[in-house]
Amino acid sequence: MHHNKHLFWSWLAQPRHGWELLAFIAGAVVLGMAVLAFLTTVPQRYRKFLVAGITFLAGLYLSLEFFIPPDPSTQENFLTKGLPTLSSIEMVVGSFALLLGVWNLVHMHGKIVLKLGKGWYNSAAFFISLISIMILGFLRDARVFGTAEMFNVLFSGFMLSLQATTFSLIAFYIVSAAYRAFRIRSAEAALMMIAATIVMLALVPVGAIITSWIPETGFWSAFRIERIGYWILTSPNMSVQRAIAFGIAVGALATGLRIWLSLERGSFFDRQL
Amino acid sequence: MGESTQFANPAVYVIEGLLVFFILYKIFSARRGRSLFVRRIPGLSSLDEAVGRATEMGRPMLFAPGIGGLSIVGLQALAILSHVIRRAAKYGTRVIVPTADPLLYTIAEEVAKDAYAAEGVPEQFIADDVRYLSDSQFAWASGVVGILHREKVATALYFGYFAAESLILSENGQMVGAIQIAGTPMTTQIPFFLASCDYTIIGDEYYAASAYLSKEPTLLGSLVGQDYGKLTMVAIIVFGLICMTLQANFPHLPGISSLQTWFLKFFPTG
Repeated sequence: MHHNKHLFWSWLAQPRHGWELLAFIAGAVVLGMAVLAFLTTVPQRYRKFLVAGITFLAGLYLSLEFFIPPDPSTQENFLTKGLPTLSSIEMVVGSFALLLGVWNLVHMHGKIVLKLGKGWYNSAAFFISLISIMILGFLRDARVFGTAEMFNVLFSGFMLSLQATTFSLIAFYIVSAAYRAFRIRSAEAALMMIAATIVMLALVPVGAIITSWIPETGFWSAFRIERIGYWILTSPNMSVQRAIAFGIAVGALATGLRIWLSLERGSFFDRQL
Repeated sequence: MGESTQFANPAVYVIEGLLVFFILYKIFSARRGRSLFVRRIPGLSSLDEAVGRATEMGRPMLFAPGIGGLSIVGLQALAILSHVIRRAAKYGTRVIVPTADPLLYTIAEEVAKDAYAAEGVPEQFIADDVRYLSDSQFAWASGVVGILHREKVATALYFGYFAAESLILSENGQMVGAIQIAGTPMTTQIPFFLASCDYTIIGDEYYAASAYLSKEPTLLGSLVGQDYGKLTMVAIIVFGLICMTLQANFPHLPGISSLQTWFLKFFPTG
């Protein structure tokens, strides 16, 4: 019986090609739709138990997999083998959600284009980009002549360049943000200004020149600007960063526990659950 | 995947167990009706002011849940979103929610619907206000900046996982004159938010936000449990500090070497 079960799973996991692949995709979509249809028919009063049960089981599996010490030779415990399946399930659910996301974009921009509303040309640009990169992507995968280069123009030429342009804007925003942050309006702001100035000077050669007359060894060496800058970064700054990290870690644990055990109240889904 | 080197150490299990115990114990004792005190968090106290400003100006609010996916950080952002929408719904103020993750988008939509319904105004929910923009970091940031300018947003709230786009968003928020509140567990982005937002929620205040806003006993209990957990960690740090200092300065003190070795066995350095 166990052997047959094993055979079934290995048959299911085999790579497919051509019509067999299409049949498997169609089967998976139909099965997915059926599961979704079943879930929507679950009566309201049972949904709480269904959601809480699935959340608890998934959380239990992942935490046990994490905490049970692995076999030192393989670095795996008996639960590790199931991780790829769980990640595939997450990917499938994510794909369905992606369809909903794209539908949201199409719906919103479609309305604007159809009504020729304000900025309709931006919405039209969205449709042109979406459709052209999708078609070229499929054609490139089918190895149609010339489409790989065209896809590359869209991806590397347009998208990556636009991303790099947006990223480079940060340089300008840093100046305006720094100007606002360094205006001395309180004792705390003054302290931050002094600390930032020392750290910045400590990182550039001109900073080292300012205090180069102080001996490099002995008691007074601690007052060289590069030493003060290093001390600020590694002592007060590091300890505060670690304190924040401790707080964040414990906060994440508490939030995770509340969600895992369905103890979260007053935030979301109270009406539905 | 678990790592044998890390989890061969029993101290990890003991501390983890203690933290879980404190949090659960405080949650259940709060549910039994014990009143708990939470200190004032300025960034969250000013939320009503931020909602009021948007209402007075007749402009929408923007809630950006960051570029993260469906994780604890993302779920906490949605919990805060729920409270923000409930407050905004009382005054009929729109809240625009641009998302970068399809999974988070679907849940955000349900959270928004649920929050409006909980306030008794389900008709205020506008499907197009919860939007999926892109899962590409800077494409999403550009989309949010576009919304900030086109909609002339009066209040911008940034809660969730943020990376390099944090400054792009908050500086553009400044340009449109929006009152801005940010909260993220990403320590690398906190300085940028501090520089360009009116209020910034730091560190574990991010996870305290939903408890602070709802005053729900379960969440308040969890918050107090977290503090007990942090106290445990501080106690371990202080104990280690004393061990190391005594060993360094008084190495011949009876038992100090073995105490230090015992401590380092469970809490190795580096």
